[in-house]
Amino acid sequence: MDRGAKVFGALGQRLYSNRMRRAAKKEEPATYERLVYKNTSVYHYMSISLEFENEETLSPAQLKQFIVNGLKDIYGEVGGAFPFDLLKFDELKLTAILRVYNSGLVKLWSALTLLSSFDQERCAVRVNQERCAVRVNQVSPFLLALSGNSRELELH
Amino acid sequence: MVRLKSRYLLCEVCVSDRSHLLLLDDGTVQNAAKHALIQAHGDYGFAHSIFGFSVKYLNAHTGIVLLRCRKSHYRLIWSALPFITGLKKRGQKVPCFFNCLHVGGTIRTCQKFLVRYNTQQLHRMLPLCHSEEERSAIRKSVLSCTVQKDADADSEEDIGEED
Repeated sequence: MDRGAKVFGALGQRLYSNRMRRAAKKEEPATYERLVYKNTSVYHYMSISLEFENEETLSPAQLKQFIVNGLKDIYGEVGGAFPFDLLKFDELKLTAILRVYNSGLVKLWSALTLLSSFDQERCAVRVNQERCAVRVNQVSPFLLALSGNSRELELH
Repeated sequence: MVRLKSRYLLCEVCVSDRSHLLLLDDGTVQNAAKHALIQAHGDYGFAHSIFGFSVKYLNAHTGIVLLRCRKSHYRLIWSALPFITGLKKRGQKVPCFFNCLHVGGTIRTCQKFLVRYNTQQLHRMLPLCHSEEERSAIRKSVLSCTVQKDADADSEEDIGEED
């Protein structure tokens, strides 16, 4: 028996036997295939979620307008003019998936982070400013990578 | 030692009525430029380029303005200049636009360019004189100031704009 196993008792023993098993497996050839993408993707995808102080409902068009306004505030009409798409919007959970060209990623990300209020016209005269926040959950060059988020897994 | 480099934008203020030019002053031009900058490049662009931005020279008679900005972000100000549509002075709005004539590294090169530009303009405009009297009046005024050997840019550019 190893000295480490003696010191750490049962747990150490289990680790030790695991290591032995892995060493035995190493001799078999690997069965998985490794894929490497040489060219970086043209787009980046971000999954975001919105948080409002009060309960709010938004339509996809309103969300896009909201983000465009935020961009215009920070980068102006010239700097904020770049294309991005709202691929999917879940109106109940207030989560969305955005697609943006690599060149606009940093601008979009910073504009989203700095968004802090949502103008809502309850009546024609007064404009209510609702405090809100946009959280960027995941950013990836592959859309598939956004499908499995271990933080949102619900375990029974 | 490292020199802090700047860029100088030599601009011409174009207004429909030339008498409005006399309303120009440093603050008005700087304010108009700042508003245009915020409109075109937002808070980000404004904060980038506002340090070191100043109006160095302004000639209210000829409408020539020299703007100074940092070399690193002069393009932001440069591209914001077409967004200026008017100058606000004491609640009065004068519609105008800025025509950027030259971008230089020193005030000296801008001054040289301005002298050359004004002589060009003079040559262009002289044939447009309607009568011989006008022509001789201009010739006389030009000669009257070239008598002095160190005639500087200011006096020459006054002539260049008169027609």
